[in-house]
Amino acid sequence: MEVDRELGELLEALWTSEEQGEAFLQDVRRIAHAEVTDQLLERALGEGLIVRQPSGHLRLTPKGRAMATPIIRRHRLAERLMCDVLGVDVEETEAAACEFEHSLAEGVTRAICTLLGHPRVCPHGRPIPEGECCRQAEEQVRAILLPCDRLALGETARVAYVSTRSHARLLRLSALGIMPGVSVQLLQRWPSIVLRCEETEIALDQEIARQIYVWRTRPEEWSEAGET
Amino acid sequence: MSPAPRRRKVVLVGNPNVGKSALFRHLTGRYAVVSNYPGTTVEISRGRLSLEGIEYEVIDTPGVTSLIPQSEDERVACELLLREQPDVIVQVADAKNLRRTLLLALQLVELRRPMVLVLNMVDEMRERGIEVHGEALAELFGIPVVETIATYGYGIRHLLRAIPRATVPRNPLEEQQREVLGTAAGSALPMGLLVEWMEVGDARFRQQVEQLLGRSRLARVPHLWERGCRGCPTSRSLCRELERARARFLESALLTLRKKGGERARSELTPSAFRFWVVLLLGGVGLLAWEEVGGYFQWPTLATILGALIRRYVADPTWALFRAYRLDLWHQLLFGSRVGGGAGLLTEAVRLFALLAPLVIPIVVLMRRSARFLSSLGRWTRQPLTGIPILLVILVLIYEVVGRTGAQALVGVLEEILFGAYLVPWLQSLLPPGFFHDLFVGPYGLISMGLTYALAIILPIVGTFFLAFGVLEDSGYLPRLAILSDRFLRVVGLNGKAILPMVLGLGCDTMATMTTRILNTPRERLIATLLLALGVPCSAQLGVILGIAAAYSPAVMLTVFGVVASQLVLVGHLASRVLSGERSDFIFELPPLRVPLVRNILLKTWLRLRWFLAEVVPLFLGATLALFLLDRVRFGARTGIEAIEEGVRPLVVGWLHLPAAAARVFLMGFLRRDYGAAGLFDLAQQGALTTTQIIVSLVVITLFVPCLANFLVIVREQGWKRALAIVGFILPFAFAVGGALGGILRTLRVFS
Repeated sequence: MEVDRELGELLEALWTSEEQGEAFLQDVRRIAHAEVTDQLLERALGEGLIVRQPSGHLRLTPKGRAMATPIIRRHRLAERLMCDVLGVDVEETEAAACEFEHSLAEGVTRAICTLLGHPRVCPHGRPIPEGECCRQAEEQVRAILLPCDRLALGETARVAYVSTRSHARLLRLSALGIMPGVSVQLLQRWPSIVLRCEETEIALDQEIARQIYVWRTRPEEWSEAGET
Repeated sequence: MSPAPRRRKVVLVGNPNVGKSALFRHLTGRYAVVSNYPGTTVEISRGRLSLEGIEYEVIDTPGVTSLIPQSEDERVACELLLREQPDVIVQVADAKNLRRTLLLALQLVELRRPMVLVLNMVDEMRERGIEVHGEALAELFGIPVVETIATYGYGIRHLLRAIPRATVPRNPLEEQQREVLGTAAGSALPMGLLVEWMEVGDARFRQQVEQLLGRSRLARVPHLWERGCRGCPTSRSLCRELERARARFLESALLTLRKKGGERARSELTPSAFRFWVVLLLGGVGLLAWEEVGGYFQWPTLATILGALIRRYVADPTWALFRAYRLDLWHQLLFGSRVGGGAGLLTEAVRLFALLAPLVIPIVVLMRRSARFLSSLGRWTRQPLTGIPILLVILVLIYEVVGRTGAQALVGVLEEILFGAYLVPWLQSLLPPGFFHDLFVGPYGLISMGLTYALAIILPIVGTFFLAFGVLEDSGYLPRLAILSDRFLRVVGLNGKAILPMVLGLGCDTMATMTTRILNTPRERLIATLLLALGVPCSAQLGVILGIAAAYSPAVMLTVFGVVASQLVLVGHLASRVLSGERSDFIFELPPLRVPLVRNILLKTWLRLRWFLAEVVPLFLGATLALFLLDRVRFGARTGIEAIEEGVRPLVVGWLHLPAAAARVFLMGFLRRDYGAAGLFDLAQQGALTTTQIIVSLVVITLFVPCLANFLVIVREQGWKRALAIVGFILPFAFAVGGALGGILRTLRVFS
């Protein structure tokens, strides 16, 4: 479904502010990347994409939500792509991601999602809506970025990022040596995940291991990369 | 305050399981327990050191993964660092884990105290072909760096020289921090740490920090130390910035610090030698299996064959000789009683050696000489398919050492021969009948009961258990159980980490209750404490259960353990439902497997036994005295004990269907679990109990209240209210389960 750009921006802004609680018009105006004119608002209301609640805040209707989902998904996947693969700083990804969200074809989106290992959250920690490919966990494209529990046994990979909102967990992992750039080896998958990180063997829950995303590389490649 | 000049303080800090306690012993000559699992030390130990005319106080701390504490033992260590204002911080590091070493060092340098960095276990580092540029490391932080192998005492001299020369380290990240934090970074406060403490530290710790660093000083950096700012975007992004700076620094530092081309220091076994030892090892396992299975069906096993051979060719021919020199006691101690056919010290030693040698020798050779075997063994022990058979072999070995050698052979020699056939009869003939006769050697005599229980029943059991347990502790095997048990422990609201206190509880519930400090949340600590008090049998109880089971049938042991384990799961599950809170993250470090050092095990066992004797013997004597007095006091026609037995008759006889004399056992159990267990052992030996009664009383005494020492530790760790609540729950629960079990067993007529 083709959505014109301004309407898309409005829906996206409303989605984002709804994630933080109730969305008022001024919030939406503030974060939207396009000017939210009254005319645009009327159009969205008229098409039944959003409704105005009696208390004054705005809400996405199921129809509007369905329309916004792919936009949000493309935007956040684009952020992930630039941040993890291209190494762009999180703060600098915003402008480019805004371009991507309008121009990516569905096939390309799916390929990126698979490449990144069907990530669940964007670099800012906001959830990425699931696509069809996430539900089927497609792996036609061999994922190069994936949660570490999906590595083959004995495979070594480099940590790309740890996608958790719990700072304590992040700290605990990094104190044991699991931090971006470090290579880890998957030693065991069941009953608990066991990783080797340098000379430390670490046992952890599956849920935590799923949050550790790694680059799939061969060890030789990585040691060369580390030297340069 | 004493007028003497203040002793300078040296604090040993480092990641868990890097050898702080081993170094502490070398520095001070005082022994802090050394084992191979993270969390051995949960308390602070202090000792003295005199160096170049200056007096030092050396402080050993629990291990920390970072200075942002996430469990009780880490909090203790972090607070100590802030409170004591150490004159020297000695960071003890695992040399092969350079990244983690640097991470902690980067936090420690913020404290701006003179520092020494110790790279410990350099032998293991070299074995893995890793080399570290010590001088570059020293230059990076501007502090002395020393290489040691603490278990062998290598490098201690260098450390002793370095301590007086400790210097205030340079913070290599100072510039980056200033960039991120602005002017605030210029103050003398550990700014990087403050940011993280505020973001992650729990409320109690932050309050401590506020107090220790001074509220007024912190007030000068308001935007970093405001309650409202915790978790806000600014503080989050500050944290992220600092982390990023640290990570960047680490990557570049590691590149320069790692030396190239270290050779693996140890040569591998040749393939044929490897195969030889593996076959021998499998043979040893087969022998052990034969011993158990054959023993059950009364086939000739190693034990019976060796016993018969020794009796026929050594014991019988020498009997006349020993007798001629009036050494018949010695003959019985060595070869067992002439009439009963029990084992003596020598027979038992030969049997145990024949059983253990084919297992232990190949394992030690393979572990020492083959890195390939060591890593395979590491894998086998943590994977269920191989890990559970290995666990079974280990349990059987413990049963052999503690249940048969300790609880049967040694107890037999000491209790029946030394005390029962010689010492007590001799004293009885010495003392004229009367008060003192009864006091020392009567039915409740200090020697015939108190000392016999303590030295002839409990001491051999606990001694053999501590030996076996020391081997397990030092091998690094115990933490591997965490992986196998994680799923299981989730049912009771804990995670794999909690297996450590649980298994340590098999040694001593009192010590294990203190070890619950390594758990991450107060809720987990409470559940673990409750389960320890409820149903984890301590070494003495375990030994008695094993000993009784060896005398009756393995089904007895399996029933008792099955019932107790099911109750643990039930109560733990209910407790985890009742107590609110989330299960904490299971992120757990596994230490490498190592061949234990005989010296350390012997030292550890000896010190534990000394502690045991000092604590237990007076208690046993006091308790026996109390029983003796109760026996002398008369209430009408009855003695005090009979009166008590009469009072609890409905419970013991009516509900549990045990003989009235069992009341005495429970009375003793109040004082110490093992004292009660010893009493039970005594009763069982006299043949006063049927199998069902044995099972019921073993279950009740296992579930029974914790001993006095354990109770006091619970009070200290959890407070009076919770301690009383725990006891108030356990006591009726134990009797309820015992009675119900007895009813079921009698209805089903499973046992006689």
